[in-house]
Amino acid sequence: MTFENTMVGQAAPPAHLAVRGIQKRFGGVHALRGVDFEVARGEVMALVGDNGAGKSTLMKVLAGAHLADDGEFLLDGKPVEMSTPNDATELGIQIVYQDLALCENLDVSANLSLGAEPVKPGWSFLPHLLRPLDDLEMEVKAKKAIDKLEVRTLQSVRAKVGGLSGGQRQAIAIARAVGTESSVVMLDEPTAALGVAQTRQVLEVVKRLRETNHAVVYISHNMRDIFEVSDRITVLRHGSNVATYTTSDTNPDEIVVAMTRGLDTENGNAA
Amino acid sequence: MQPEAKMTFLDRFSAMRETQFGAFVPVLLALAAIWGYFGLVLPLIDLMSGEADSFRAIFLSPRNIYNLFMQSAVIATLAVGITIVLLLGDIDLSAAATAGVCAALLGVLVLSGVPGWLACIIVIFVGIVMGAAQGLLIAYVGIPSFVVTLAGLLGYQGLMQKILPTGNLNVGDPFVRGIARVLIPDLWGIVLGLAVVGMFAYANLRKQSRRKTLGLEQDSPLALWSQVIAFAAIVVAVVFTLNAYRSLPLLLVLLVAITALLGWITTSTPYGRSLFAVGGNPESARRVGMKVKRLRVSAFAIVGFMAAIGGIFGASRYGSVSYTAFAGGSLLLEAIGAAVIGGTSLFGGRGSVWNAILGALVIGSLGNGLDLTGASAADKLMVSGAILLLAVAIDALSRPGNGSGR
Repeated sequence: MTFENTMVGQAAPPAHLAVRGIQKRFGGVHALRGVDFEVARGEVMALVGDNGAGKSTLMKVLAGAHLADDGEFLLDGKPVEMSTPNDATELGIQIVYQDLALCENLDVSANLSLGAEPVKPGWSFLPHLLRPLDDLEMEVKAKKAIDKLEVRTLQSVRAKVGGLSGGQRQAIAIARAVGTESSVVMLDEPTAALGVAQTRQVLEVVKRLRETNHAVVYISHNMRDIFEVSDRITVLRHGSNVATYTTSDTNPDEIVVAMTRGLDTENGNAA
Repeated sequence: MQPEAKMTFLDRFSAMRETQFGAFVPVLLALAAIWGYFGLVLPLIDLMSGEADSFRAIFLSPRNIYNLFMQSAVIATLAVGITIVLLLGDIDLSAAATAGVCAALLGVLVLSGVPGWLACIIVIFVGIVMGAAQGLLIAYVGIPSFVVTLAGLLGYQGLMQKILPTGNLNVGDPFVRGIARVLIPDLWGIVLGLAVVGMFAYANLRKQSRRKTLGLEQDSPLALWSQVIAFAAIVVAVVFTLNAYRSLPLLLVLLVAITALLGWITTSTPYGRSLFAVGGNPESARRVGMKVKRLRVSAFAIVGFMAAIGGIFGASRYGSVSYTAFAGGSLLLEAIGAAVIGGTSLFGGRGSVWNAILGALVIGSLGNGLDLTGASAADKLMVSGAILLLAVAIDALSRPGNGSGR
């Protein structure tokens, strides 16, 4: 496995987060066999592959949820340590899981600050857990985060998440990931369960992330979405890289073939 | 069009319940219905049918209201504690038995000459340890709370019988008895009530003005003022009614103070927020770094604390500790029923300690009213069951996005 991605366009931007030669075994299953992956700031990198290709495993390794057996992590070219989810958070890497992990019984602002609630100053004699929450500060933060992503359909940050549409929830989960000073946002199948209008809303949010100079990793099966939002596409198959394409230089058929059969160039059998 | 009109009514109902004070409405309606029935409808029927020669509102007399509050106090104390674990999506079946053990221990301690205040502190500590022990088994061993606390219920019932072989013990300690006997002088009661109302109004208005300066959406002034006025009306009515019979009892002041503290902790601190988060989505809470296991243990410790307080209140009010009044009686189910009637979800993430107090009043009023009408114990049980079902049905119907039967 070389460090060069053979099919990257000349305009490939310098990587913000890059991993090299990632190996991951689960017992006898060799899930990742020396995968290279990179994403730059202001870029949407799609990560595609058939079921079992190792997309989710790679994402969990990037998020620190799984510890890689081998391989190196580079952030802006410098090697970094990645062994726990906290490491990932400190490096500014955030992940939005498919199940979103929102609390439906809480309102939007509470969900956006979950786990990092602001407290009012001046109660330092109390342990942090028992200091009064600053709800208003929370709402201000939430409004900022929502406005930044331009989620226009959301009426109020005081609405309970349980009453929101799927697209709004996805947007809120993304806003939470972005709100914590993150530079890399990974989205796992963000539109899988959504209708047309909702999908549109989420894709707009993803584009906003690119404009705000985030590095976005977009995992999906949906070729239309991928070709709409992504700048580059990394294809995995059987736990290895197939290739990385520049979206404007390729087409869905080529990607599907790469996902299902690999490159097959050696056999001259280019489907 | 009939079904559609019905849906919009339900939708409005659930929308209302989502508001800050809307959650109180169903239980307040239940309370009003019960009070109206026992206090106004029944005496009127008696008057019409000639059984009574004048309109006698026994149920709504200050004396009966006073007794009603005192009767409901122990249930309310336990219900407030149980609400905390219900928020997490757990349940505590051992609360009443814990209260029984604590009360029995209190009785034995004061009998052997330990000063009352010290005995109370020891008992509260024992209650916290008993609750936390169950919490440790639930959080770290991973046994479902239903099973652990069922075992706790049996074990603590046995423990109470060990402490009280005769099953009965009189408590004459002046400190312990004083909690239920001491009355706040009329004037001080009024001052206290007005101070509470003033603080409530100040806090609300201050929040509103901060909202304005921060450029956030504001509550409508109508909603704001009706909240303040409704709160003031309830506080003033309670204080004056109690003053009309005796005075504000210390026990009720303590209960409200502890509930206010727990209410504040659950709604306005990171700790309380994490209770709701774990109840709503434990996985999400874990991912954002909340210490879910420690949280569980602490919640069960709070139930133990409230159970011990309930034991002290009970011993103080009855002047004795008996097996049937705590561990062996209907206290546990009444307390869980009170929490659920108040609108706290059995599946976690929704509820409030104040609702538990109102739920306890519903249960207490029902028992009291049926007693006054001379209903049999069998009638009381059946009516209580029906009310509990009704409360849960209202809750299920008015939940947003219901249908899953949760």
